[in-house]
Amino acid sequence: MINLLARALMMSTPLLYGSLSEVIAERTGMMVTAIEGIFLIGAWAGFVGAYQSGSLAIGILCAMGAGLMTAALYGWITIYLKQHQIVTGTAINILIAGVCSFLQRVIFGVPLVPLTVVQLKQIPIPLLHSIPFIGPILFKQNILFYLLFLLVPATYVVLYKTALGLAIRSAGENPEAVDVAGINVKRVRFLAVLFSGLMGGVAGAFYSIGYLGMFTTSIINGRGWIAFAICFLGNWNPIGALVGTIIFGLTEALAIFMQSSGGTFLPNELFIALPYILTIILTISRRSFNVPAKLGTPYEKEQ
Amino acid sequence: MKGKLRDILLINAVAVLLGLFVSGLMILLLKKNPLEAFGLLFTSMVRDRYTIGDIFVKATPLMFTALAFAFTYKANLFNIGAQGQFYIGALVAVSVSLRFPQKWALLLVLVLVVLSSGLWGAAIGYAKAKFKANEFLISMMSTYVALALMNYLLRTRLLETKGEYPQTDPLLESIWLPKLLAGTRLHVGFILAVVACLGIWVLLYKTALGFRIRAVGYNGEAAATSGINTGRIHIAAFFISGSLAGLAGFTEVNGVQHMLLQGFNPDIGSIGIGIAILANANPIGIIFASILFGALRVGGQIMGQRSQIPSSIIDLMQGFVMVFVIMGYFVRNELDRKRKIRKLLLEEGGVQ
Repeated sequence: MINLLARALMMSTPLLYGSLSEVIAERTGMMVTAIEGIFLIGAWAGFVGAYQSGSLAIGILCAMGAGLMTAALYGWITIYLKQHQIVTGTAINILIAGVCSFLQRVIFGVPLVPLTVVQLKQIPIPLLHSIPFIGPILFKQNILFYLLFLLVPATYVVLYKTALGLAIRSAGENPEAVDVAGINVKRVRFLAVLFSGLMGGVAGAFYSIGYLGMFTTSIINGRGWIAFAICFLGNWNPIGALVGTIIFGLTEALAIFMQSSGGTFLPNELFIALPYILTIILTISRRSFNVPAKLGTPYEKEQ
Repeated sequence: MKGKLRDILLINAVAVLLGLFVSGLMILLLKKNPLEAFGLLFTSMVRDRYTIGDIFVKATPLMFTALAFAFTYKANLFNIGAQGQFYIGALVAVSVSLRFPQKWALLLVLVLVVLSSGLWGAAIGYAKAKFKANEFLISMMSTYVALALMNYLLRTRLLETKGEYPQTDPLLESIWLPKLLAGTRLHVGFILAVVACLGIWVLLYKTALGFRIRAVGYNGEAAATSGINTGRIHIAAFFISGSLAGLAGFTEVNGVQHMLLQGFNPDIGSIGIGIAILANANPIGIIFASILFGALRVGGQIMGQRSQIPSSIIDLMQGFVMVFVIMGYFVRNELDRKRKIRKLLLEEGGVQ
């Protein structure tokens, strides 16, 4: 049971990176629909960086760089060329899928054995990890998990307690006012998209080098979209994203538990589909959505 | 209007060429000559009767999924779940065909596929109409649910009699879609797809329903005040969109694969979106854009078999083409704006 919960939280780590950054971006009015592609290229670049250099840290840096470049392309087309966010994201996701499988082949050819790296290690926090029950769940995880203890409150504070946060939120609610205040709306949005590229890259790297220790082209398989959905369900709020991620983590844990307990009265596939069904139900049942007013709309200065 | 069409054709042609050019640069990374690779790509497409026929075979399901996206797009709705509706269509097609393998049953299969995948889609439209739910998200998620359902059925109810792989028994030949040309895989589904494109064009531009759909897409609030029931339009648009995507499942199962297996055409939905973008969501344009992508897929597959260039180069080409086409939209909007300004200036000049 403890193992299961620990595993569930570990598996939710990248979802939280993704959904937190999606919250920031969407608050400025930018849906980052390229998130699936950003996760994928992060997973790929993270693996390649780590495999070639032998260092996981370099892998994560590569993942951030690749995520950043992908986000920059997405941001440039949607913000400065004013093209549709959903359409652009779809195209970029297809492009990235092609880029990753092609370059994987360019670099490694067709290897006879699967290429692997040693995954990120669990670092037990002294003392804390020996607390019964919560110790092994919360304090025997890898470094990317621990960083979330900083990241979640930091996003919350920045978003609600700082001038930067005010600019971010206003860019999505009332961009004209931001403009009048002398802040460049497009730049705020572009920077928020770049931030989600960095974080999405880390999230992707988590799957390849943090968890599996290898890369396959189907490694993300819709997880980027789940992070995207969690941002909606968490009502565009970092704390909401945290709660949403935990719910998803628990569903996943339940799925693993049901599968491994050998119960055959319910099919495996039902549990695989559970997070997606849950998203649909929550999307339908949530009444009071706090959608940023200008979400998805390009900003054009009045001339 | 004429200038607009010329812009679209010209800019999209440039975008396609740019996409191919950049993919060519990527081939250099493999230390291969891109010109030779492209030579091989194009000669592979038209190598013989079979490969030429296959271009249209590959274009067939793409027309359906592209139409599925384009149709809801006209109502300013986003159906990203064509892939899932395709799975539902394929599931129903294979189940009914296995149960009723007689020739007359083809029509029954067609009707049931349209109904089931249409209802799967309409449920998304209903969630949008009734609960103001985000259709983009729900349609996306519904794909994964449909995939899980398909995998489950392939493992249980639909599992082949040998019970070895998660796939169905092959369909009897009597329930196959009739061939169009001997020596190829080309089947009647291609005609069905072209007719669907033409039909959707007529529906959108020549009927009252089509007018309402476009009115809702253009300005939902204005459409609602003028008495259009937008909720009903959302449901209708999603029903039609879902059944179109389901038809891709029908033509792939009964026309090409003659069975259903795991990992069946996993990217047909997203490529459909790309084609719809390339065709500017125009049903007639979709016919040509699908044939172009079909040709790329055929050429790429053979190239992958005959040279050291992996067939993922096709995904790369498709991706670059789409991104350049979207950038092209910007150029087009700019040209359009300049043209309007020029016209205004001319008119002003005329007045003075």
